[in-house]
Amino acid sequence: MLRFILNKKQTFWALLCLPAVLMMRPYVFGDVIAMDMLHPTGEWSARFMIAAMILSPLLSLIGPRPWLSWLIQRRRALGVAAFGYATLHLIFYVIDMGNLDDMLAEFLALGIWTGWAAMLLFVPLAVTSNDASMRALKAGWKRLQRLVYPAAVLVLVHWIFIHNNLGPALIHFVPLVLLVAARYFLPRRPNLKGA
Amino acid sequence: MRLWTPLSLAAVAAIAFASVPASATGAITCKSGPVSGWKSQKALTDKLTKEGWSVRKSKVDGGCYEVYGTTPEGDRVEAYFHPVTLEKLYVSRRGEVLFRKAGY
Repeated sequence: MLRFILNKKQTFWALLCLPAVLMMRPYVFGDVIAMDMLHPTGEWSARFMIAAMILSPLLSLIGPRPWLSWLIQRRRALGVAAFGYATLHLIFYVIDMGNLDDMLAEFLALGIWTGWAAMLLFVPLAVTSNDASMRALKAGWKRLQRLVYPAAVLVLVHWIFIHNNLGPALIHFVPLVLLVAARYFLPRRPNLKGA
Repeated sequence: MRLWTPLSLAAVAAIAFASVPASATGAITCKSGPVSGWKSQKALTDKLTKEGWSVRKSKVDGGCYEVYGTTPEGDRVEAYFHPVTLEKLYVSRRGEVLFRKAGY
């Protein structure tokens, strides 16, 4: 029974909503302001994006594993969650800035336009995250979804320059870069176990 | 075993970066002595408000007071002030430096 509940897709969606629920609490109670919500919403968006992106490279490297297939079946949810948290991030940015003039004044800062550009790339990815779009776009769907790679680069630059420091952004992105690189540069794992 | 190489590399890199002390978001640092000698954050907020700033939030960062707010000229900025003298040391907008006092 427990296993049945855990394997429900809805349970996974609920799990992905959990950080949002926890981070909204202090905001709803007025303990923090919109500005304080920017970091957690952005960070979780990047985390879910990275989680969705590392599954294929992991599969190439370590071969099929039950837990990995379990996650790959839920990759769409991870990607949509990344978009959801990015949307929250944008909403809190607009609330925090409060007016268009201030947003335009800083638009050209490297840390800002990269965020807008990443958000722009996320939109078609999220809109086509459904079976109907996959069927309609056929091979084009995969090409379209590869926009996540330039989006990830934009997110990384956005994060580094908004914070003026490298550490937290690199902690999240170095594993992604290594895995993606390993997938391309290392020979594929042979299918024969123990060979 | 080859397959573990990239994984362990990733793990090592992550740990190495994680163990670098997270320098305060610190654009700058202040040699400001013991906190007992500092003026209060409220004193700074009051002074700035009188000068035409609007202060959204303030905190201690790198031994300085860090203020998020709007300047009298209407720029949304992040600014650093010396906690003893309340002197303005550094002003930036999303990483773009608008003002930096000589020596900081």
